[in-house]
Amino acid sequence: MKFYEKEMIILRERLEEALRKSDAEYTEIRIEDVASSWISFRGEELDSIGSSKTVGGIVRALVKGGWGYSTFNDINNLNVRVKEACESAKMIGKEESKFAQVEPVVDCIKAELVKDFREISLSHKKSVIEEYNKIVLGYHEKIKTSIVAYGDSFRKIWFANSDGSYIEDERPNTTLYISATARDGDNVQHGMESTGGMTGFQIVEGFHEKAEASAKRAVELLSAPPVTGGKYTVITNPNLTGVFVHEAFGHLSEADFIYENEGMKEIMVLGKRFGSDILNIIDDGSYPGQIGTHKYDDEGVRTRKNYLIKDGILVGRLHSRETSAKMGEMPTGNARSIGYQFPPIVRMTNTYIDKGNSSFEDMIKDVKLGIYALDMIGGQTAMEMFTFSAAYAYMIRDGKIAELIRDVVLTGNVFETLLNIDMIGDKLEWAPGGPGGCGKSAQSPLPVGFGGPHIRIQNVVVGGRQ
Amino acid sequence: MIAETLIEKAMKKAQGAQALLTQSEHTRVSFESDKLKSVESSQRTDIRLRVVLNGKVGLSNTTDINDLDGVVARAIECAEFGSSAHFQFPNPQEGTDVKIYDDKVIPVSKTEMVKISQEMMDLIKKYNPNIMVYAGVDKNVLKREFANSSGVKFTDEETHFSTGVFGVLVRGNDILEAGYGFGCKKRDIDHISIANRAVELFKMAENTATIKSGNIPVIFTPSGMEVLLLALELGFNGKNVFLGSSPLAGKLGEKIADERFSLIDNPLIDYASASRKYDDEGVPHQVTPLIDKGIVKSFLYDLDTAGRSGTKTTGHGIGCNPTNLVIKEGETSFEEMVKNTKEGLIVESVMGLGQGNPISGEFSVNVQLGYKIENGEIVGRVKDVMLAGNTYDALKNILAIGNKSEWVYGSLLTPYVQIGSLSVVAK
Repeated sequence: MKFYEKEMIILRERLEEALRKSDAEYTEIRIEDVASSWISFRGEELDSIGSSKTVGGIVRALVKGGWGYSTFNDINNLNVRVKEACESAKMIGKEESKFAQVEPVVDCIKAELVKDFREISLSHKKSVIEEYNKIVLGYHEKIKTSIVAYGDSFRKIWFANSDGSYIEDERPNTTLYISATARDGDNVQHGMESTGGMTGFQIVEGFHEKAEASAKRAVELLSAPPVTGGKYTVITNPNLTGVFVHEAFGHLSEADFIYENEGMKEIMVLGKRFGSDILNIIDDGSYPGQIGTHKYDDEGVRTRKNYLIKDGILVGRLHSRETSAKMGEMPTGNARSIGYQFPPIVRMTNTYIDKGNSSFEDMIKDVKLGIYALDMIGGQTAMEMFTFSAAYAYMIRDGKIAELIRDVVLTGNVFETLLNIDMIGDKLEWAPGGPGGCGKSAQSPLPVGFGGPHIRIQNVVVGGRQ
Repeated sequence: MIAETLIEKAMKKAQGAQALLTQSEHTRVSFESDKLKSVESSQRTDIRLRVVLNGKVGLSNTTDINDLDGVVARAIECAEFGSSAHFQFPNPQEGTDVKIYDDKVIPVSKTEMVKISQEMMDLIKKYNPNIMVYAGVDKNVLKREFANSSGVKFTDEETHFSTGVFGVLVRGNDILEAGYGFGCKKRDIDHISIANRAVELFKMAENTATIKSGNIPVIFTPSGMEVLLLALELGFNGKNVFLGSSPLAGKLGEKIADERFSLIDNPLIDYASASRKYDDEGVPHQVTPLIDKGIVKSFLYDLDTAGRSGTKTTGHGIGCNPTNLVIKEGETSFEEMVKNTKEGLIVESVMGLGQGNPISGEFSVNVQLGYKIENGEIVGRVKDVMLAGNTYDALKNILAIGNKSEWVYGSLLTPYVQIGSLSVVAK
């Protein structure tokens, strides 16, 4: 009999009993049970096939502004863990605690899977991705090797806190990543595609065309020149707009960078202009069907739609219960954790630039020399500066898409780049999911949604040789 | 011993098996925004089982010590559809002793960890009270139990201690982040010099310098060396070599770098972060020269990849990743490098590394913390600057190698390295 079937019936009682042992001002316990499996091909051969099962938990206690955390795999001594967290918190707390009050909730969220990956055999999963691998490897003689990696996980969470909230949540995830590697002498190029989501195994089915597209791109990039470094007008496609807004602005709107730093509070004062009137940036953890969507965050706060920038003006930011109380703003449901090993911290959910009213043709037609940058490899931010990189790109010459180019990494500064967005497309799209995600404070990867339309940005610094 | 019990259970069906149990206890003290913010204790258990059944490999992991039958059953199930095994589990072999346990680590109290953090913070504050400081101290003790079906069994226990501090300085719309940290397997870490190093980074950034786009010499500090090393870590990985995605495939014995450049992988340095007597496949660790005087000497292999490649494991299981990397010292001091540079860049940390096509050697990164050199002097911090180039081209174009090595994060020992010319793009 499985662990949770036997023991979880009485888990709520055990959590509530352990919480009663706490003498902290606020205490919460989160227990997680995660069952996952993975299959990956590298080149001709199956590289790895396996499954894992983890059980663990975290206790968080707040005393006089100080936090004590205890994390563990052995969930049999919850009272001891609560005591440990309380003692740590008491040792360091020296001020008045500030922690936003939210209405306690009791809720039980069940996963809704179209095709339940737990009921699909490993051999079937393997045969599905093996087809993709064959497509990649058979595409062209210059395809040297491949990665086709499938993963699924079913995460069940039990959350209880001293406010009286009790939430059971199921968070399934299925991901697929395909990378084709083409080589010509010392020139090695990649084409990548991925998908993922919370609704079941069907997400990774029927990916044959994308598999072929990844191989085709890898081969085409072999003969594409690297971008010449410089300043350009850049149009990003919706997938790349999503990672741009995440790096360019999302991180700086996370209140834990701001709430105790007077200088940052001045820079990020509500009402300040960051973009032109056409710019609207939103983070929405309640957006249906996206990979950063949950009903509650990991502090038991209901997720919601939060405007960060409205008509170019800073109107909101992302909060945990602590940062919202300290800044005198409303909690936003953005305290998230990648797993029981970590406390929740302020994170994005699904972040997007809202659609505008420009067509792609209007954006490109008067660009004499520019770059049309597509899809993402990744991005990173350090406060005001950020970078993000395109999987592939084309030069724009005299208003038209010209040759394919590679190695396009873009950089910007939050105080300038958002103001340089001069056109926003009329169709909002979301980037496909996948095994990656966002990293912050050693917590990586966290599933986050990236969305937006095509946008046009003036004067973007693009790295490269000259 | 749990690992042996797992092998016994697995061998009822399998023809080969290996098991690794890891248990750790970790304590962390964190200061955030000038204040003592949290104390964390964690307990971890991790069990990893690999079985071979009819020539095929299956893997399974668990955190539940009471789930031994479950983990065996799942590994066997995976093996039925698994990848072909290209290896035999190794027989017992004696390894070289290396120090990985310091009995001074466990007794460090939370109070002492708070004091260390506070002292680092005070030093930064003394330099400039406007810097918002974050600091932390970690201690960790980790026990491993290993067994395989060929009779290898061992247990070991290691400690880890680390301290770090970083600060954020806001001046108008300018935000500067800088910091320094170090970790290794012994208690004896000089946190005062770590904080002083962080202060030094802030001092050099007091002024902001402008830089023109162009090709200029670049000094990578020990921390900045990650820019050049990422491609090498991927390129020397035996799996990438076997699959042909490494540009070093087929280049054993070829010269790929300046003859002053030598790189070794050394897991046998006392108390270094990645040091151990055996790897995670029970194979004794050894010193592996990767580049000697510019020439490719060896790649990194684990059991299965070595089997596929027709060679022997170098003790880099599982995954063919490096342990501690050591770059040989040269003859030039950092001060001389700066003095000899008319116009150049110093790179301490970057953003966006690995986002492009790192295995090819190409990098295109934002210089998160870097300084401009003008006429032999450091004149200030540069901002909004992209640095681009190729590791393999850069290694052939080395201007100078530092005469003093420093540890970075406890697993990289490297001097400063100056490259003749790299592309810089500024606003």
